Amino acid sequence: MQSPNPLGKADQTLSRNMTLLAHHELGGFGGLGEGISIQITADGRRILWVAHESAPKNFSGIDVTDPKNPNLIIQTDLPHMQVRSNSLDVFGNILAVAYQTQVVGLKPAGVDLFDISIPEQPKLLSHFDCSGPHSRGVHALWFVDGKYIHMSSGSEDFEPTHPLDDQFYRILDVSDPTQPFEAGRWWYPGTRKGDISPPPPRMPKLDTGYRVHNTNVFPREPNRAYVGYIDGGAFVLNIEDMKNIKVISHWNHSPPLNGFIHTVLPLFDRGLWIVSDECVMDDGLDWPKLVWVVDARNEENPVSIGTFPMPNPEVFTKRGGRFGAHNLHENLPIPGSFYSDTIIIGTFFNGGVRVFDTTNPYRVEEIAYYVPGAPKLSPAGAIQINDVFVDENAIVYAIDRFGGGVYILEMNI
Amino acid sequence: MIVNFKRDVISGKIPVTIITGFLGSGKTTLIRQLLVHPSMNKVAVVINEIGEIGIDQDLVTLSSENISLLANGCICCSVRTDMQETLRDLFTRRTIGDIFDFDRIIIETTGLADPAPILQTLVSDTLLEAQFRFDGLVTLVDAVNLPDQLENLKEPEKQLAIADRIFVTKADLIDTNQMDQLVHLIRNVNPSSPIQKILHGNIDPNELMGIGLTSSKASQKTLNFLGENTGQTGEKYMGDFARRHSSNIQTETLRFKTPFTWQAFSSALDLLTTLRGVDLLRVKGIINVENQPIVVQGVQHIFHPPVTLDRWPSEDHESRIVFITRNIPKEVLKSLFDVVTQVVKPAELN
Repeated sequence: MQSPNPLGKADQTLSRNMTLLAHHELGGFGGLGEGISIQITADGRRILWVAHESAPKNFSGIDVTDPKNPNLIIQTDLPHMQVRSNSLDVFGNILAVAYQTQVVGLKPAGVDLFDISIPEQPKLLSHFDCSGPHSRGVHALWFVDGKYIHMSSGSEDFEPTHPLDDQFYRILDVSDPTQPFEAGRWWYPGTRKGDISPPPPRMPKLDTGYRVHNTNVFPREPNRAYVGYIDGGAFVLNIEDMKNIKVISHWNHSPPLNGFIHTVLPLFDRGLWIVSDECVMDDGLDWPKLVWVVDARNEENPVSIGTFPMPNPEVFTKRGGRFGAHNLHENLPIPGSFYSDTIIIGTFFNGGVRVFDTTNPYRVEEIAYYVPGAPKLSPAGAIQINDVFVDENAIVYAIDRFGGGVYILEMNI
Repeated sequence: MIVNFKRDVISGKIPVTIITGFLGSGKTTLIRQLLVHPSMNKVAVVINEIGEIGIDQDLVTLSSENISLLANGCICCSVRTDMQETLRDLFTRRTIGDIFDFDRIIIETTGLADPAPILQTLVSDTLLEAQFRFDGLVTLVDAVNLPDQLENLKEPEKQLAIADRIFVTKADLIDTNQMDQLVHLIRNVNPSSPIQKILHGNIDPNELMGIGLTSSKASQKTLNFLGENTGQTGEKYMGDFARRHSSNIQTETLRFKTPFTWQAFSSALDLLTTLRGVDLLRVKGIINVENQPIVVQGVQHIFHPPVTLDRWPSEDHESRIVFITRNIPKEVLKSLFDVVTQVVKPAELN
């Protein structure tokens, strides 16, 4: 039942300091995953690339050169209904797309690399196969330097001790995009059969697995990987020797909370990490799902010093679908990306896209948000903003998990 | 090149417009029209007494004893005890989702009220100062009765003097010649703020918005705020109008070629407000503080936090400040700043 509170009405668009410039439903296939990036083409166009949340569509390219007039220029199909692309990244004219199957043992499960020099005609350069009897393939990938893909993946030779722990940290060397190969890997001790360490204890209330989600490596600190390991917490890894990856630090809020750490975003010059959870249950069943501020000035001893303020959970957990933290704009070190070490933009499913000022890390302030009204025929009955990309002009591209497509917004901050 | 994006310190704050006007100036009529105007979605209007407005049939819900939602999305809130508590209550209810997330506030003052204390509340209450910014003061004047009111009462003159926008009501009851005299009368008290006629409260709500400094990013709008682009009168706001006044209210513009240090400028201003704050009706200006452009504005002894602009809005890098005062001669103002600057070491020139 919806809340009597006026903000609880899911058909109502809510906004503060954000203005909708345009909305594109992607030809009726507006259910989008957590892959979103931008390409600036040789002829000066800006192409927003988005991964679809589920079959039948694979990825779409939208010309956003004029953000008020987005134009869908390409939309591709998946080979069957039991695979999803979910994640992608772009570096220069190379597009990397992740493939994850619904159950283990299916194909395609891995990574495709495309030449998108002509965005309307993506040309497959290679497929890196990650399928296997215990693998669903790749859930999320990070590709920002043209050389390495860091990803959450299974592998043919990896048999987890628990079926939920199938995706670990893998690094692909894609210097030659036609011949990618594995450069390194690391997994949570005890999650692979044969490990000396015992399997880790399961989360008592909600077991979402010891799996990797985001794997962020920034060129300015190429020896550090910032890894959200879902129920395993946040890890910072020393990847200087990719064949011998070492743990620098580990931080986790669960238990007592309900796991699912998703993103670890370092703010290098401030010695902070911004860590986001992912909400995976409807109606607040896994609440609280938050964004955390972690003091990591001593990176071996991270200390949580606060969380981002959230809209009233009494209202939003009843608004329909999921409510809680998810993806952040990750200060992608690529041309055309927004960068700030104080302003953080995040997605919160039915809480929309929200903007925070972390200038005072002990008292983070919400300064803007946009919560679209429920998209037509949304199965959640509410918006479910899933991911966000912000360009260097502070134009925000927020995408819905079910049907809503792309919302292009201007921030007045 | 990677640019580290920083927040604009004022653009995200909720703007607050204050409407003032002496008894009979048509405020209630204006508020009644505003409350049902289609463009008032997401605007919260703070009024004195809802019963006076006569819009009971338009109220959609009553979320509390003093807050109502109208069909156009406008929130109507009557003052309970005082303005500070009312504004805090509005913000808190908005935060917890008790009422819609309004993005602007319009405050109606009582006819006898001095608007300065409301500005003081906005500046001195730390919660309110963090969330709200004063956008502008709009004064309604009664075309028929203003001449007598200015002659016999103090409040209308002050309301007029510190106004950012002046709306003349009941202008249909006077002829063109009388209107010219009225404008002359207004200009004697307020030489530059735009004057506009309104009939029966019919107004585009956008006329009440975007009056003040809306961003710390310098643009043409910054010059508008400083009054350097006003086209309506053909006059430059920064002009010297002293000789035109018959009242004891004066508008003086000071220019300083030499950059200030913040210590020198703020010391001079502190001294002035301490000694003559009550006569310092309005101050607005852009100050060269060691080559940085800083915007200051204040009403009597209340000054808004200074705003450092990201760049100069024009080629003119000299400090210029407009003072609307009661009986403080320009020479005195100038001497005060010069003397204090000499006492405190002046900034080095480029």
